[in-house]
Amino acid sequence: MKFEYVLYGFGILLCLSGIGYLAAEYVKYLSEAGRLVSLLLTVGMFAFLGKYFESLGW
Amino acid sequence: MATKRRNIFLYLTIACFIGIIAIFIFDGYLGIYDTLKVTAGEREETIEPDFWVRERWVWSVGVNWEEKVIFSYEVDNRQFSSYSADVEVSVWRSQEKILDLLSQSLEVAAFDEEKIDWVLDTGEFKPEEVTPEQRYEYTVLIKRGEVERRIILYMNPYIYKVPAPPR
Repeated sequence: MKFEYVLYGFGILLCLSGIGYLAAEYVKYLSEAGRLVSLLLTVGMFAFLGKYFESLGW
Repeated sequence: MATKRRNIFLYLTIACFIGIIAIFIFDGYLGIYDTLKVTAGEREETIEPDFWVRERWVWSVGVNWEEKVIFSYEVDNRQFSSYSADVEVSVWRSQEKILDLLSQSLEVAAFDEEKIDWVLDTGEFKPEEVTPEQRYEYTVLIKRGEVERRIILYMNPYIYKVPAPPR
């Protein structure tokens, strides 16, 4: 496996862990609009990430 | 061209990620948060800042007559500017104020905390004739500027002190 793919994997895992931690600690304080926008951005993030890997040929 | 298009998806992914982080910081973390600790009897109850977001919830504390209730009100200022407000604490029953407990100004520096403590003696507003058949509830109203916090004090049934029969 290429080393850069391992780095990709680590980077994505760490980013998701960071978001998970923030969600666990602060999502209860978010306003309704904040929660909706966060949800939309999360969906968008995974969608664009999927398109990126699709364009890589995976 | 394909590389450019591919990189756009990556940049949009990163932009969404930064947007999520920014929302959690600016909407979830920054602001004014208050924590209230109530000690009645041997129990200390902590009311976290997120409790007040759920407006349908009411916090109730069981207290005995002639018992002291200790309150500790902490204001956490997570803003880049200082925060100041007048804090007033009073006891109410049936929409009528019966006792003023506290009135003072509060000044909290940026990213700092301030705490206000006070003690409520239930003997100060105990009615002259208290019967175990009647249920008593009081509201402790904490006003911090335009923000109001309400705690319901549920008075435990009063126990008659029955004198020992003569021998």
